[in-house]
Amino acid sequence: MADSIEGIKKAKKLYLFIGTLLFVFTVVTVMVATVEWLDFGDHGFDWVDATIGLCIAAFKATLVMLIFMHLNHERPMIYFFYVLGLVMAFFCMWLIGWSKSDPIQFGNEIYSDGFYDLSKPATDVHGHGARE
Amino acid sequence: MSAEAHDHHDDHHHVLPWWKKYFFSTDHKTIGIQYGLSAGAFLLFGFFLMIVMRWSIAYPHEPLPGYMSWMFTDGWKARWLDDGKVTGETYNMFGAMHGTIMVFLGVVPLGFAAFGNYVTPLQIGAPDMAFPKLNMASFWAYLAGGLVMCMSFFMESGAAKSGWTNYSPLAGYADKQIVNQFLAGQTQWLIGLVLLITSSLLGSVNFVTTIIQLRAKGLTWMRLPFFVWAMLVTGFLLLLAFPPLEAAGIMQLMDRVVGSSFFMPSGLYSASSGAAMDLSGSGSPLLFQHLFWFLGHPEVYVLLLPAIACVAEIIPCNTRKPLWGYKPMVWSVIVLGFLSFIVWAHHMYLTGMGPVISTFFQTTTVLISVPSVILLTAMIISLWGGSIRFTMPMIWAAAFLPMFGIGGLTGLPLAFNLADLHLHDTYYVIGHFHYVVAPGILFGLFAGIYHWYPKMTGRFMDNFLGHLHFWPSLVCMNLLFFPMLTQGMAGFHRRWYNGGEGYIEKGAEGVNVFGLTVADKISLNEIMTGSAIALAVFQLPFLVNMVISYFWGKKVTSDNPWDATTLEWATPTPPGHGNFTFDPAVYRGPYEYSRPDHDSDFFPQWEEPKRDAPVEESEAEPEKQTTVV
Amino acid sequence: MEIPFIVNARKDTGLFNSKVGIWLFLASEVTLFGGLFSGYLFLRLYADYPWPERALPVLPGLINTFVLIGSSVTVVFAWAALKMREWRKFQIYMAITLVCAGLFMVLKGIEYNAKFGHQAVRLQGGGPVQDNAIVEGHLHYAKLGEDGLMVEVDEDRKKDDGVFKANRVLVKASEFSFVLTRPTHEAYVQEILRQAGDSKITLVEPYQVIDKSELSAGQMNRDQLVSSENAQVAEKGSELTIELLDDLEDSYLEARSHDRKIRTEFLSASWDWIRNEKGEEQAATYIVEKEVWKERRVEDGEKLKILTLRASSEVTFKVDPPFTLVLETGDLVKKANVDDSSVKLRDDTLVTGKVLKSPMIMGVDALDFRTTAQRAEAEALDPLPVIEGTWLLTHTPDHDSHDDHADSEDADHRNQFKKIWDCHMAWLKAEEERLKEKGRVPSRNDKYRVNWDQILAYGGLGYDADKVYQESKARTLKRAGLFSLDGFAGANHKIHKGEFPHLEIPRAKVGFESTFTPKWNTYYAIYFTITGLHGLHVIGGALVLGYYLFFGRKMYESNPEWLANRVEVGGLFWHFVDLVWIFLFPILYLM
Repeated sequence: MADSIEGIKKAKKLYLFIGTLLFVFTVVTVMVATVEWLDFGDHGFDWVDATIGLCIAAFKATLVMLIFMHLNHERPMIYFFYVLGLVMAFFCMWLIGWSKSDPIQFGNEIYSDGFYDLSKPATDVHGHGARE
Repeated sequence: MSAEAHDHHDDHHHVLPWWKKYFFSTDHKTIGIQYGLSAGAFLLFGFFLMIVMRWSIAYPHEPLPGYMSWMFTDGWKARWLDDGKVTGETYNMFGAMHGTIMVFLGVVPLGFAAFGNYVTPLQIGAPDMAFPKLNMASFWAYLAGGLVMCMSFFMESGAAKSGWTNYSPLAGYADKQIVNQFLAGQTQWLIGLVLLITSSLLGSVNFVTTIIQLRAKGLTWMRLPFFVWAMLVTGFLLLLAFPPLEAAGIMQLMDRVVGSSFFMPSGLYSASSGAAMDLSGSGSPLLFQHLFWFLGHPEVYVLLLPAIACVAEIIPCNTRKPLWGYKPMVWSVIVLGFLSFIVWAHHMYLTGMGPVISTFFQTTTVLISVPSVILLTAMIISLWGGSIRFTMPMIWAAAFLPMFGIGGLTGLPLAFNLADLHLHDTYYVIGHFHYVVAPGILFGLFAGIYHWYPKMTGRFMDNFLGHLHFWPSLVCMNLLFFPMLTQGMAGFHRRWYNGGEGYIEKGAEGVNVFGLTVADKISLNEIMTGSAIALAVFQLPFLVNMVISYFWGKKVTSDNPWDATTLEWATPTPPGHGNFTFDPAVYRGPYEYSRPDHDSDFFPQWEEPKRDAPVEESEAEPEKQTTVV
Repeated sequence: MEIPFIVNARKDTGLFNSKVGIWLFLASEVTLFGGLFSGYLFLRLYADYPWPERALPVLPGLINTFVLIGSSVTVVFAWAALKMREWRKFQIYMAITLVCAGLFMVLKGIEYNAKFGHQAVRLQGGGPVQDNAIVEGHLHYAKLGEDGLMVEVDEDRKKDDGVFKANRVLVKASEFSFVLTRPTHEAYVQEILRQAGDSKITLVEPYQVIDKSELSAGQMNRDQLVSSENAQVAEKGSELTIELLDDLEDSYLEARSHDRKIRTEFLSASWDWIRNEKGEEQAATYIVEKEVWKERRVEDGEKLKILTLRASSEVTFKVDPPFTLVLETGDLVKKANVDDSSVKLRDDTLVTGKVLKSPMIMGVDALDFRTTAQRAEAEALDPLPVIEGTWLLTHTPDHDSHDDHADSEDADHRNQFKKIWDCHMAWLKAEEERLKEKGRVPSRNDKYRVNWDQILAYGGLGYDADKVYQESKARTLKRAGLFSLDGFAGANHKIHKGEFPHLEIPRAKVGFESTFTPKWNTYYAIYFTITGLHGLHVIGGALVLGYYLFFGRKMYESNPEWLANRVEVGGLFWHFVDLVWIFLFPILYLM
């Protein structure tokens, strides 16, 4: 813990450095999304861009957590709280996602017939329109 | 703590004005009692709604009798009753609000907030909660949320009518005819919910912090009373499970107020206006169900754990022997808490989830019964060989065990996809969770009330009235809920406002998969309704008991009237502001009853050992535990 | 009494109370935003319409990101200053943080405001794809002309009396029926009275409720009572006022209570009768013994006819002379079509008359055929011909209301949107050729969406497709860049006044319309919800940090370490808010 005067002075330089890094990576994110020669994958937005964007965001978030939020020298209990929150948020996303894209699917047409306006695109069991 | 920092605090013990002492108090005990009283009031109100519903089920063609309908004004009756009979709309409204009130405004505040607030700081030897002002804010947010929800009964739209689960798209569109959406019951329900979630968030942060930070000297993790462990886990459940529902609540609020389509699928058609709805569509109704049950299932354990916690305190005290399997129980409760986050979709087998994910949830659901059974079994084994004192709390606690057992075991068929397809939304489900909540959890909480009443008031509750409360309640509860299981297997749907008569009238006579018919079992309705009314009557002795014991009950002769071992009994009776008159230190585990090396049959945690120095199991232990928890 | 470990850490946990508290709170915030992000993810993955990718102007979001990151640095500096007991520096850094928070909210406000003023319409029509072309733009303003129809007015006059946005429904109202079963919405009645002007709105028939005391006295029969003076609540020809409606409602509700009460008494008496006469058994087998029961109820019904007041639950007012009522579409229970003979308001008030021609008039700044293309592909059709056949590209503009003589003189039958589309196809051709060299293909966005800067660029070349092709090929087509200030928060109709094509959409063609609010689609819904909640967090955090800045001096003097702890905790929250934005920016602005 940077409790001593020197420690804090040193830490301040680190904070500035991290702040700059965050600025730089923000610019990188925007460039990946907008500049053509940095547009990976297909032309325009696609999952490759999404992955890169999210990875940069995750990296930036990690920097904020470790340095600004002092997680780099924090008690294990704090990690426990935070990781628990992340794990639960992950469960929330993962299991909902799984339940919506079960590897074994019922035939959608059985469920959608007669339930919805057929002039609209067919809807699957989840009440969502078929995307593809 | 540096002395100069706090000397201005020292002389703050002057007399507070009465409104600060009783209403805007920051004392955890006052707040606990405030929670208890308001939760009790809400429970009675929810109970009343249920009796009206039960009347409609058993006597759908008969006007409400005078002893129920006097509550309503003529104008209200003209709006909501059809010639004095309960209409389907009114039934739905009462049903939705019964569930909401009982779960969110009654049992959780009574179990977690009232008992948790009163007992937890005392049991860990803390002067108060870690954040007393937050604690007060939490109570007032809860009360505001509850009142907002209930106020809507008097509005033109009536209260929410889309079930306590508030599924979209129904809940997203109900009451849409009300031009100012903030005056619609369905919207107020959501606003109330957001307030309640805020309240429980503040509460749970407070509880967990208090338990982690304010434990008395020597109170290491494995010396915590089981009650505190249960509260810790409950705190985490509320902390992490509620926010997704808050997100869902906010999204549904947006759907209602600004017309978004988070949970409204494409192509919705409104029968009442005869036109396609003016919505963008492409929302996902199932997303709401997922987010709701992400809270909904941990919520079941939020209801349950405080009751188990009370019982786990009362059993060792009244059997005069240690709690059997304290450590396994602690681990069970932790595992239970963790698993409860990943079982939620067993409420949703019928939504067309694929078989793979159903199997996953089936597995976790069956897994979670293991820690539950460990908890129950440990408490049953704790009775074995004890010299049981059948005091009032012990009787309730003893009844809790089989009642909760029935509730738990009847849940097993529901855990399996195949059986659940038949039983989903029938009275079987209702019977199952009411066995858990009413004769289970409420009995546990009643036990707690009888147990800690002497600490709160300095007087015992009356035994005769206690028995008059207990025995009829036990009988009526079973007469009310057991037939539900049979009816459910015969296919009674949970939302029939006329108790199945309309179904029979339509000539539907098919025998269902269990070989039962609705016509066979419909006559049970009257027995159940009769028991429900009797049950209401037999709560009167309890209410009377609460009041008269406060003034005329038998006085306690010591601060530790039950000869218990945990720290709350080391305080003065009733405890003053700041709780302890000495600096509490803990020297041993929580349930040291009938130790052969000790002269009395209990060895309180705070009693200094005569011969040896306090056995400090090293200061490092708590930290080590923390990382594992 | 004092709570331990407020300032100093507990020995075994190594933490002070509020740090434990804030981290627990942040853990719950993680699940809150986890829930919201799950919402985003699944709404997006399972959307049945093309998700609006990169729909927001990037610049405000980018600046906001910088602002928040900057404030994160300053807040941690403020904490460090407190740790070193430098009050002045703390003040400066904290003040910068608060300014950042303010700037963030201002930019947010500008963005929101632009969205609220930006209109979108999804067109409807026949065929397998139901048209589904989307036009975006800026609504024009209108007022009622002499003939009671819409006349466009200049935007400068939008604050004038009687000027409204040109998306309203006009109804020539000749009769109003108010429903008394539930309180009518006062705002509607007020609006009707305001718009009525000189027209008189009068009660068609007298409203009568029999005096219930006289009825129960039994002196006169019901028919006599009806004609008595006391029965009259409002006489024929009374003018509509809110007070009058309130009176009628009160009388009706009272009469209804009375009737229901008597009916309840009768029903109870019937049950007593069946219990006493036929015994409990038969009462229980209600269904079986229905016949007996029916007779009794018929008898009851005869008596009830005499005993009840039976007030009417509806009152009708007629309008003389009929006037044009301007209604917002959101106030109608269902869509109105031209020549409908009545519309119903959301409080069940029935407006009888005739729905007039009420087109939506707007300046169009973007055409979006992605939904059309998606639906066409779902029907296994080639999207381009389907798009060419949509109403938008084929309709003939209404020449009476709009001066378009130049068009009719040269034999060009294309409407302006078809010209834009042709230019777009030319641009697309050039783009396709260019990308082909790199082994790529244009995205669906490129193909089926014409953005505001493209419309301006094509307009600059006089909608000449050949020129567009050549310029695009030579890469000299002037399009506003991503970071140009004209389009800071989207297409700017003030700077480019008159450059965006004018469109009148007949009411029947309007499938779904909304401003860019949560109503428009699930993307904007989640955008507003998450950024709104995030904005609330920013405000909350700023309030707390501001409290330390403005009221922290006293605590600093008595116990600086305590204040430092508080600032650290407030700072943790602030970093979390920043952290959420770090994810929000790419997810909402760049994906």
